[in-house]
Amino acid sequence: MSKALLNHVRIRGVKTVVPDRFIDIDDEIEYFGHNVRQLERAKKMVGFGRRPVVPEGVTVVDLCERAAADLLGELGTDKGGIDTLILVNQSPDYVFPPSSYLLHDRLGLGEECAVFDVGLGCSGYVYGLWLAHSLIASGASTRVLLLAGDAASTHADPRNRLYYPLFGDAASATLLEHEPGDNPAWFALGARGAGWDRIVAPAGGRRLPIRKDMCDIEVRDAAGNVWHPWDGIIRGMDVFNFTMEVVPKNIRELLLFAGKGMEEIDFFALHQANRQIVEAIAAKTGIPKEKTTWETFSRYGNNSTTSVATVLCDQRDARPVLGRCLLSAFGVGLSWGSAIVGMDGCHNGGIGLYPAPAGLPAREEQVEEWIRYFKGEKG
Amino acid sequence: MTHEEFLEKFQDVLQTEEPLGMDTVLEDLVEWDSLARMATVAFLDSDFGVGATFEDFVEMRTVADVARKAGVAS
Repeated sequence: MSKALLNHVRIRGVKTVVPDRFIDIDDEIEYFGHNVRQLERAKKMVGFGRRPVVPEGVTVVDLCERAAADLLGELGTDKGGIDTLILVNQSPDYVFPPSSYLLHDRLGLGEECAVFDVGLGCSGYVYGLWLAHSLIASGASTRVLLLAGDAASTHADPRNRLYYPLFGDAASATLLEHEPGDNPAWFALGARGAGWDRIVAPAGGRRLPIRKDMCDIEVRDAAGNVWHPWDGIIRGMDVFNFTMEVVPKNIRELLLFAGKGMEEIDFFALHQANRQIVEAIAAKTGIPKEKTTWETFSRYGNNSTTSVATVLCDQRDARPVLGRCLLSAFGVGLSWGSAIVGMDGCHNGGIGLYPAPAGLPAREEQVEEWIRYFKGEKG
Repeated sequence: MTHEEFLEKFQDVLQTEEPLGMDTVLEDLVEWDSLARMATVAFLDSDFGVGATFEDFVEMRTVADVARKAGVAS
């Protein structure tokens, strides 16, 4: 396992933005055979509540732009000093360039800036924090804008009940700066590439491009869940077993590495896979119930790449001072990671709503515009 | 833990409508879905420190089998 102690970094602030359109599980009783008892059982066991979902035409880039602009405004930070922009994301706008470059443009950042994407899902925020800390601790960067987001609702058919109802769409912005004083942060990351096909969206990359021959393929499993080749698949039971095997161990090893006891951690922000998984991890690791939460899942769903940031932002009112936090996340890859960070003095911007702007270009308009661009009819 | 305590806890874990008995066959429960299997594995792990996987349900057929796996004396 990759472990690191990284010092002299301060997390200045964190802000989450979600679309203002929510789906409530109570409005989806048709998928529970109109059986109230079954719906209530799923709510109690999985923790289903409501989740934000992007309307067609709104992407992670839009959410990230709002989160970053709001955070920098709230902090009163001059964007000129940002020398590194990282976007952790697995719902890109285009095949290339990386979406971080669209954000570099939209946010009006200077050219003296390193800009890149990191392609990860649920473990992404912890990996992003590790990377940002490493860059600052090494002296390569002094002010890092870390953006993270996913629109997981776009990876599944609404009739795929193994996937669709678990996820909510969200993005976050986190600003990290060099700190002359001590502020140690500890990280432990891991990977299991052999499990790459346990969480996968097969079509749409270069191995299996989306072409006419697959456009009408619609597969149903025994339970009636609908799947297309470009949708995501999660092998739930395998991922559950994987999670129970690696995550509690990862958290305990990190605490040991940092020389910290459970009692020295003020809050545990666990990836909100669902209520059952969060509770099982907490129980197996021995995390006191009052020091963690699964309720963010009920309010916002599993926010994939940015889920841990959503948990932190969701604590704004309940825990005005976050203190020393242990963050832990796991997922696609398969990958996992935990971090212990001191968040004293960190501005918590909470969770803002993003209303879809009017007049988003329709799909046909976009296609036509790119045709004109190709023909040289548009500059 | 007594059998009664185990049954009460396990029923809460599975959220079944009908009360469980030690001789209840898991496959006979309408609620015995993947969610229930995961809940059972998590229950064994967190409450009894017993590791189980989904393959174990080939042999764990009844509630008594789960109790035995958990180490609840019969």
